[in-house]
Amino acid sequence: MNTEATAAQPDVPELDLVKRCQKGDSEAFDELVTRYRTRVFGMIYNMVHNEQDAWDLAQDSFLKAWKSIGRFRGQSSFYTWMYRIVMNVTIDWVRKKQIKGSGAEFDDTIQLREIDPASKTVPKPDFAPSEKMEHQEVRAQIDKAISQLSPEHRAVILMKEIEDMQYNEIAEALGCSIGTVMSRLFYARKKLQNLLKDVYENI
Amino acid sequence: MKTFEEKWTAWLDGELSGSELAAFEASLPDRVAAEAEKQAAQKLRLLLKRELSISKLANEEFFSHQLRERIGHEGNSNTGRESRSSGWWTVPRLLWSGAFAMAVFLVCTVWVMQDNDFADQSPLTTKVLNAKLDPTAGTDATVTVFEDTEDNVTVLWTEGLKSLPSEYAAK
Repeated sequence: MNTEATAAQPDVPELDLVKRCQKGDSEAFDELVTRYRTRVFGMIYNMVHNEQDAWDLAQDSFLKAWKSIGRFRGQSSFYTWMYRIVMNVTIDWVRKKQIKGSGAEFDDTIQLREIDPASKTVPKPDFAPSEKMEHQEVRAQIDKAISQLSPEHRAVILMKEIEDMQYNEIAEALGCSIGTVMSRLFYARKKLQNLLKDVYENI
Repeated sequence: MKTFEEKWTAWLDGELSGSELAAFEASLPDRVAAEAEKQAAQKLRLLLKRELSISKLANEEFFSHQLRERIGHEGNSNTGRESRSSGWWTVPRLLWSGAFAMAVFLVCTVWVMQDNDFADQSPLTTKVLNAKLDPTAGTDATVTVFEDTEDNVTVLWTEGLKSLPSEYAAK
């Protein structure tokens, strides 16, 4: 897995920070937040496709992690444990939204506004001006395709393809078996291949 | 025993090896189509990685600041809860108070019951042996015979008589 470039104290072992957090050291937790905030936010954003919702859900996830860090036993990495919280919070939110609304999460008009290149919050690579329009269209197509997956299928595809997590780490984060992870990956890939064939064939 | 979906996923991700890999590839009905699909999966992976990978959260310091504020607020709320819970009516104190109240109740109950025992032993040991109207002595005449067991005395109490009949005379 990749690590964030903005780590303020990369020399401090993660487990030491966790132990300090468990003693109530909020500065140590701040350090963990600094290490993982971008990845957590990015993961959630790719799940919900809405900047403000992703921000709030990332905040909620970290707050929940702070409250329950006393129960972290160190049997997995902090990041895997954190991802479990992130996934619980996010999948729960997506399900509620699907129940509340008509089920269609994706709205092209909203999407074009939300991925405004001038946006201050959404993490994104820098594109040349001439590429921005094309990037917007591609991004919109990808988000639309991902929004057609179930929350669980979104989670596995994003953790595997973007975060490069191992099957066992994904299984731990989602609280399911490795077989279930592989099965979900199979169907999620099939669906995305069908939906995005025109896009990736032109790369 | 892995399902086909699990083996296919492992094959796409390069997680199969040795005899498992050979057995799976031998089981594929159309190897060319399978390889094409593997290529498509690779392209999809590249596309997702390129488009969805993140570099930096623009307002990251504000994100941390906001989170610190929320944690601080939660901490204050918890402290408030703790201070409320550490007030006079803590659970142990409630238990002690309950036990004390129960003890007082028992003492009072025992005292009242003992008091009732004394009441049963009334000093008025006199009892009515006989009470009757006596129309022969007078129309409103009543005759009551009391016995005081403590002093061993019998009292004849008459009312409404003009004179004492001879049969009531002390013997």
